[in-house]
Amino acid sequence: MYNHSSSLKLHGERTSMYKHSENTFYKSGEKTSPISVILVSSGSRGNKLLFRYPFQRVAGCTSLTTKQRSPYALNTTGDVLEDPDGDSRDQTPLTDEQLVAGFSDSILATILATKSDMCGKKFELKIDNVRFVGHPTLLQHPHSIQVSKADPSPKRETPTMILFSVVFALRANADPSVISCMRNLSRRIAVALQHEERRCQYLTREAKLMLAVQDEVTTMTETDGSPQSPFRQILPKCKLARDLKEAYDSLCTTGVVRLHINNWLEVSFCLPHKIHRVGGNHVPPEALERSLKAIRPYHALLLLDSEKALLAQLPLDCSPALVRLIKTCSAVKNLQQLAQDTDLALLQIFQIAAHLVYWGKAIIVYPLCENNVYMLSPHANISLYSPLSEAFGQQFPGHDLPSMLAKFSLPLSLSEFRNPLDALVQEAQLIQMVVWMLQRRLLIQLHTYVCLLVPPGEEEPALLRDEVLPLVARVGGRSLSTPSALSFGSPTSSDDMTLTSPSMDNSSAELLPGGDSPLNKRMTETLLASLTEQERQVILNIPAAQNPEDLRMFARLLHYFRGHHHLEEIMYNENMRRSQLKTLFDKFRSVLVVTNHEDPVISLFQSPLE
Amino acid sequence: MGMSRIECIFFSEFHPTLGPKITYQVPEEYISRELFDTVQVYIITKPELQNKLITVTAMGKKLIGCPVCIEHKKYSRNALLFNLGLVCDARTKTCALEPIVKKLSGYLTTLELESGFISNEESKQKLLPIMSTLLEELNATGASTLPIDESNTINLKLIEQRRDPLIVQEYDVPVFTHCKDHFIKSQWDLTTQQILAYIDGFRHIQKISAEADVELNLVRIAVQNLLYYGVVTLVSIFQVMKPSDIWNVSATSPNKVTRLFGETVVRSGAGLCLTPHPACVSGQKRACLRDVFQLYCGLTPGTTVRDLCSRYSQQLQRVDERRLIQYGLMKSLIRRLQKYPVKVLRDERSRPPRLYTGCHSYDEICCKTGMSYKELDERLENDPNIIVCWK
Repeated sequence: MYNHSSSLKLHGERTSMYKHSENTFYKSGEKTSPISVILVSSGSRGNKLLFRYPFQRVAGCTSLTTKQRSPYALNTTGDVLEDPDGDSRDQTPLTDEQLVAGFSDSILATILATKSDMCGKKFELKIDNVRFVGHPTLLQHPHSIQVSKADPSPKRETPTMILFSVVFALRANADPSVISCMRNLSRRIAVALQHEERRCQYLTREAKLMLAVQDEVTTMTETDGSPQSPFRQILPKCKLARDLKEAYDSLCTTGVVRLHINNWLEVSFCLPHKIHRVGGNHVPPEALERSLKAIRPYHALLLLDSEKALLAQLPLDCSPALVRLIKTCSAVKNLQQLAQDTDLALLQIFQIAAHLVYWGKAIIVYPLCENNVYMLSPHANISLYSPLSEAFGQQFPGHDLPSMLAKFSLPLSLSEFRNPLDALVQEAQLIQMVVWMLQRRLLIQLHTYVCLLVPPGEEEPALLRDEVLPLVARVGGRSLSTPSALSFGSPTSSDDMTLTSPSMDNSSAELLPGGDSPLNKRMTETLLASLTEQERQVILNIPAAQNPEDLRMFARLLHYFRGHHHLEEIMYNENMRRSQLKTLFDKFRSVLVVTNHEDPVISLFQSPLE
Repeated sequence: MGMSRIECIFFSEFHPTLGPKITYQVPEEYISRELFDTVQVYIITKPELQNKLITVTAMGKKLIGCPVCIEHKKYSRNALLFNLGLVCDARTKTCALEPIVKKLSGYLTTLELESGFISNEESKQKLLPIMSTLLEELNATGASTLPIDESNTINLKLIEQRRDPLIVQEYDVPVFTHCKDHFIKSQWDLTTQQILAYIDGFRHIQKISAEADVELNLVRIAVQNLLYYGVVTLVSIFQVMKPSDIWNVSATSPNKVTRLFGETVVRSGAGLCLTPHPACVSGQKRACLRDVFQLYCGLTPGTTVRDLCSRYSQQLQRVDERRLIQYGLMKSLIRRLQKYPVKVLRDERSRPPRLYTGCHSYDEICCKTGMSYKELDERLENDPNIIVCWK
């Protein structure tokens, strides 16, 4: 009933713990690439297929579906086995080319050149295992074709094309986000073509060329008898054909498309599924967007290319803010500092950073500092012969990548990694190595998270129910501060973007000086009120709780102890030092559980989703 | 069924004089003249598209059909073209409906060939009540059984599409995702029933095959079937028989563990049975959640299970560490770190390393060379040119 696809052996992962199918590596590759790109038009000369790529294999061009049928033969379903239940999946999977090659030019022209009332909207058609997606565009209203005889400019010809469509053929089981991305690209190209058509009849001219070549080749075939693909002949003559071919090739490889329609209008597009691939799986765009919304001002932007290379890729008319940002950003500077240095608003920094990340030109990391703890990523390629290894050897002569990676096998902080006795130059080089490894997603960063978990009393079993309630519900009131902090970090929020700590609303406790004032005591009591009686007792019995300062600090930070905020975030929000927090955790360690793991916001770039 | 609601069933054909038209549709007038004009080229199609499942989206609706063409001299124009299709809202997922459309087209084709069901005007009228019943039943229960005439019955069922399951290897260990007793065993095939008792989350496929006296491939297929329906999930075998012996370090996955902490898994009936936690030794349920959580958090990189046992001996009196690890693996809370040796320095003259390249884990090397973990460790420790990465 289901496919027994061949199992592929990925290095060292035969006994992998992951539940991901080993086949998804190849499947995702197929599913995110188009099978074919097709340009069709409809006009006074009827429906025409102008161009398609890849070309059909012409030798023995008999498609799988059109067979000579005797008029008395039963209507068979061709090659596919007759399956009365109708639930068979592909028994003999056809190659991509066969899937679309099975459609002749004329049938494609008929089905893809739609009626005019389907224009301006998403076009989606699924035939067996192929899905066609596009955005048919009207060139002009079908009723208003007029031939103006008194036209002053003699070059204007009578336009005969009513509508056109750039269609991408995909595998039917492609991800819905891929489908909408392809349609987006089709639309962008259509907009550019529409503009150029209105300006100088670009599309009509190209179409004429294409059809002329097709006619030529058909007549040649009839006389010579040797079949040829007309589209191959079109390529050298038509810029538009070359553009479409380039778009297709880019989509299948890098996922970044940059075209210049008529050498004038730029169409750029990126397919996030190809750009953001970690460990063989792509990162879905929705997850990417969620991550981008959760960036905080204490994060940093790490460019994936060198500054020069990146600047060279930018178009001439790009925003100066972008250029400034690229020139100023660094792995040790957080976004807040970046905003100050470039003299841009934090909101704008967020937006530009998100843009760079979306296009795969940068990733979000925590700024490099001594206390950062790094570990080898589970997806790192540590093979001796990998291209990464070679590149590392060239970049840092005298060092080899596997040795460096071995050092990070178990979590290592930067301060441990560096040897204080080393020369300053060597130290700088070590930092560069870490940055290099981060850029290639070889390292993940671990943060400390804290959870409140009070040991249950020895007495009665009735408390089983209490133990069961999630802390989320109980700490209810205090969790209000977190949502506003989150929205602060949202790049699209227009909230108050002060550059200082955002915790003004919940820092009322810290503003009050003096240890034991009744107001402070009241505050502490209120904060602890969200706990159960039993928990409160246990906490108050801890020796450290006798110190009112410590107790107050503990109570104030209570809402962070749900395991969702790491140490650095608490430091940032509450304007506290690392040593202060660590001491506090130590004092209350009997009720706190400390764990280390990645920051889920930025771990997206290092680990695939589970 | 909530997902794939069928809005309309239509029957369209090519009339010899009027051309393509909708002969019957239930409910009436659902497909407007406009809509049909736009999509008719996909309903009554050119010969090249016969017998293909065609789904077209237009005007906020999705139409799924399978055009049929039967050629015979007896028909006017020498061919009968028709298409029985379904209409849904454009946002509906329609994968599950496709087999139904295909099957229906098959039925009608057979009926026509056997008894001229469609070309005969009288019998064609029977289509309308059939379509009404189908629409109702498929939307209500997802299944329909309709007798058409004395010799033909239509049987249809909407089947939820699931992902293809993984290939099951001999060394994989199946473990039930829910309590075993939830399932009515008599509904399953004999092979599955025979091996059920041996699925305990510790026996791997090969062992189950040996102990249950069922051929290996049959066990694999049966377990794969259970995997497909989500009844079991797979975890990989531990390197050594007893995990408390020499285990390797584990690292907790982000989010999952804190979710464990905060989540309502204990309360929800989803059967993830944390209370009593499968790792908890029975009779000691009380201390469970905190102990379990502490133990998972204690599995930091660099900690072997042995270390864990000595450090948390108190908790481990109440918790079974084997089940702890198993549960953690099942729910992807923890993962095992593997060791990869890499030979970094060597003479120009010596052969390039075959296994010590960073691509093969200890597990694999031990399997291939027959060495034990300990032997491999000793051998590698003494070689200064080899470094080991954990990941």
